[in-house]
Amino acid sequence: MPQDSLIPSENDTDIELDFTGDDFQEGHEKKKHRGKRKETDREKERRKNSRRKKSSSSTDRGNEFQPRQKKTESGRRRSAKEEQEAKEGERGDGDRGQPTRSKTAKTKKNIKNEKTKKIDTAEEREAGERNEKGKKKRGGAKREKKDGRKHVAKKKTQEKKKKKHKKVVESSSEQETSEEDDDEENANDDEEVRPESLSPEELEKLKEAVDEKKKLIQSLRGKPWPMKKKLVTLRESQEFVEKYEGALGKGKGRKLYAYKVLMTKRWMKFQRDFENFKTACIPWEMKIKEIESHFGSSVASYFIFLRWMYGINMILFGLTFGLVMVPEALMGRPYGTIPRKTVPRAEEASAMDFAVLWDFKGYAQYSVLFYGYYNNQRAVGWLKFRMPLSYFLVGVGTVAYSYMVVIRTMARNANESGVGDDNSFNFSWKMFTSWDYLIGNPETADNKFASITTSFKEAILEEQESRKDDNIHLTRFLRVLANFLVLCCLAGSGYLIYFVVRRSQKFTLDGLENHTWWERNEVNMVMSLLGMFCPMLFDVISTLENYHPRVALQWQLGRIFALFLGNLYTFIIALMDEINLKREEEKIVKFNITTWEASLFNGTVSGNVTAPPVTIHPADVPRGPCWETMVGQEFVRLIISDTMTTYITLLIGDFLRAVLVRFLNYCWCWDLEAGFPSYSEFDVSGNVLGLIFNQGMIWMGAFYAPCLPALNVLRLHVSMYLQCWAVMCCNVPQERVFKASGSNNFYMAMLLVILFLSTLPAIYTIVTIPPSFDCGPFSGKNRMFDVIQETLESDFPAWFSKVFSYASNPGLVLPFILLMVLAIYYLQSTSKSYKEANVELKKKLQMVIQKLL
Amino acid sequence: MSILYTTAVCCLCARMVSPAIALAFIPLLLTVLIRYRYFFVLFYRSALVRIWKDCTTGLSREERAFQYVLTHSTPGDPDSILDAFDFWCSKVEFISNIGPKKGKILDRLLMEQSPLTVLELGAHCGYSTVRIARALPLGARLYSIEMDQRNAAITEKIVRLAGFDDNTVELIVNPSDEVIPRLRTDYNLERLDFVFMDHWKKCYLPDLQLLEGSGLLGKGSMVLADNVLFPGAPKFLRYLRKCGLYEWKIHRATLEYSTGIKDGMAELIYQGIK
Repeated sequence: MPQDSLIPSENDTDIELDFTGDDFQEGHEKKKHRGKRKETDREKERRKNSRRKKSSSSTDRGNEFQPRQKKTESGRRRSAKEEQEAKEGERGDGDRGQPTRSKTAKTKKNIKNEKTKKIDTAEEREAGERNEKGKKKRGGAKREKKDGRKHVAKKKTQEKKKKKHKKVVESSSEQETSEEDDDEENANDDEEVRPESLSPEELEKLKEAVDEKKKLIQSLRGKPWPMKKKLVTLRESQEFVEKYEGALGKGKGRKLYAYKVLMTKRWMKFQRDFENFKTACIPWEMKIKEIESHFGSSVASYFIFLRWMYGINMILFGLTFGLVMVPEALMGRPYGTIPRKTVPRAEEASAMDFAVLWDFKGYAQYSVLFYGYYNNQRAVGWLKFRMPLSYFLVGVGTVAYSYMVVIRTMARNANESGVGDDNSFNFSWKMFTSWDYLIGNPETADNKFASITTSFKEAILEEQESRKDDNIHLTRFLRVLANFLVLCCLAGSGYLIYFVVRRSQKFTLDGLENHTWWERNEVNMVMSLLGMFCPMLFDVISTLENYHPRVALQWQLGRIFALFLGNLYTFIIALMDEINLKREEEKIVKFNITTWEASLFNGTVSGNVTAPPVTIHPADVPRGPCWETMVGQEFVRLIISDTMTTYITLLIGDFLRAVLVRFLNYCWCWDLEAGFPSYSEFDVSGNVLGLIFNQGMIWMGAFYAPCLPALNVLRLHVSMYLQCWAVMCCNVPQERVFKASGSNNFYMAMLLVILFLSTLPAIYTIVTIPPSFDCGPFSGKNRMFDVIQETLESDFPAWFSKVFSYASNPGLVLPFILLMVLAIYYLQSTSKSYKEANVELKKKLQMVIQKLL
Repeated sequence: MSILYTTAVCCLCARMVSPAIALAFIPLLLTVLIRYRYFFVLFYRSALVRIWKDCTTGLSREERAFQYVLTHSTPGDPDSILDAFDFWCSKVEFISNIGPKKGKILDRLLMEQSPLTVLELGAHCGYSTVRIARALPLGARLYSIEMDQRNAAITEKIVRLAGFDDNTVELIVNPSDEVIPRLRTDYNLERLDFVFMDHWKKCYLPDLQLLEGSGLLGKGSMVLADNVLFPGAPKFLRYLRKCGLYEWKIHRATLEYSTGIKDGMAELIYQGIK
């Protein structure tokens, strides 16, 4: 090799070494941050490494290596730089002519290393070599640049030779990099360097090898090898392909490849993070999942239902708050301007009592929270907001929205629920589908295991019994008996509520002040208590029937439904009575007011004619009883007492019991935890129905008390956290954990029924009873829905009201309704025929399968 | 006077809490009564009847049981003694023996294991002693530990009545925690094949640990603990879950002489330290 071509490269190494010293120092600093204590070890290792190198490779190389070592160690001392350079120069003179040889030797050695896979030594070496390699690579890059700058003027032949030399150097570095692949930074560096490193023949060979490996991977499955060998070859060839595939393209392709790999990695990570983020965004998802893993999906289904309910209530709340309460508060007349917006004189003393918080009297009654506060002014504020119209439309809209959501959800659920028949392959179903894979708690898993075994036992017994079928009469008798008992309970509770309501009416006639707190709140108390205790009794009675828990749950739900419905309707009937009373009262007040006004007028007239009209403080003006506000208040009170009962039951029945059981167990004569009081189980049916009826009351009362959705949102929010906590902290998994995949639609169906039943009384009152004359947005009108007619007449062009009047003509409406009924009938009959066709097809499929078998 | 007083109290109650609210509590009362009826029955039979009979007869419960068994069974026939016991415990009064249902499990385990040295903790009045001794193979020996003097005397009589001699059944009248450490020295025991626990539920865990410490349990030794669910030995079960020395399972059954109360027997097979 000619001398002159080598000189610049040697000079370069000098500079390179300086650079590497600095660079390495930096890298070293970084590593220091990561693990300071490892520093000394690494130092030692490096020294050891160098020693080994010394012994293994040529002595020249060893000589070259050591000073470099020194330099890296004392890299920060820049003052000593020149000195070192001088030294290096000396050594460079001595080594001149050697480096290429040494490097090729090293390459060989590296290849050998790769082949001999002694992991322990290889790892050690890698640690040492990485440092060295980093140096070299950066050095290589630098060298290239320098070369380019320095030898522009040099002859082509020289350049050629140099290139050759470089090629050798870089192929060696490449071999080194093939040892380590995790370091992405290095890999990128490599990618920049590699393109020119391979000759066309080598490239060709590599390409072939990669293709071969690819083929091998594809055909590996068919190879008659043992599995272990297959796995090993697969892994090796995959690694090979991954490593060298990028090397096949030219410079840009390679870059692109690296970029692509990097991006796919990033993309996958991003996707994973995004999934996590999405789950974190669903409110309470993690909580519900945790509960599901502890208690099985039936308990979780309650919480999912609760969350769904919360969503609906948020929307209802948004509607009433945004379109009714806020406009009235901002743009309507302020408090104290007109009688309906002021606390009357008689109540002023107690208007700020603490009791206002749960009675909703005083200032709470005369605020945007209730119907009576709203004014019948047609348009309020600078926006000309049609307040009464908005009030009416929001009332109708909330109900319509609820119907839409419930029905849509039901339809979606109905599609999801499979059409598998449960009867034909009883044992197979039990065998393959009874495990709940979401369970993650050992105790629950134990329970599930036990319940599956018992269900198997029961199924076998059932099978035997169905062949014997002598006990069926007893079962039937017991079921009838159970239903009879439940009916007795229902009748008893209904009578009790009726009795209480009658009594409370008597009390109101007497005047409430003469009675104790207990007597005044008797109705709410009795309703809450019955709603709490009767389901327990039903539960006990239902053990007589010996149903499967899923069926039992449905029966239980049906019974509690009947109970709650009875209670609610008794309450509504009582309210109706009260409304009638109030209306009687209203008539008298109305008459009195006219006389009062007349007397006032007469008084002023007789005094002096020119005097300004007498101003009376709005608090002193006599006013009607305003039955709408009364209804709203009743509902709010009911909701509040219901919420309180629920929370108190939770705290006493679950938490206190759990605390007692837990801590008394240390000094009790039997095991409290496993035996008699035990911890409570989560009562799915009761809670679901509580939620549904609560919602029913909201739907019923929301028209008369716009604050109800807000209250309900608050309640649901609190009970979400409280119940999650209570379940996790003081309940135990049910003894018979079962899947509740099918029960969601059952809840929905009940919700729909309740929605219908709760809108009935509301619509009845809106349609039949005229609104109070001096409170609320519809005061002065004959019926509440007159507001629509009024809007049509005054806010729309004349032709529109004409069209509307034609359209509302019975002659047009009746045929339309008839058409709709016909359409529904047609759709239903087609769906029925489709269903039949489905069943037929299924039968055919079974036949075919049997033939095949 | 008293009538006046009661009406006054009632009025006061009615003033404080209205009768309708009180009526609303009836479903709760019914629920509790129905759901926990077995416990109430058990309480009545094991406590109230016992106190009543103690007062009227002047004998202890075990003595009364012994009198009944003595008059209603054939001497030398363990089966008839067990039957008499079962009848008395289910129909007349209540004694917490192992009972016929769980006894069958015990018999089966003994048949399978056919142990040569058996330790019984808590003989009470001899029912389980007779039951075990009946199922033992020839040449096997049962060591029965009872703390109470009077019960031990009755056990002695019952065992003799059933026809088992000193070679088969050895009765030790001492608390179990004193006896277990001395078993090796005083009774020359090398290894226990079968241990039946039916004494104080609180002592299950310490006694098991004593047995482990004494080295009497070898690989494959079986320990059977009765009543681990009701009245229950939670600490014992917790220890079993954690320690990993045993292969164990719970035979679920109902409490002796009662149908509705769940109970179980824990079957432990000593595996030794791995």
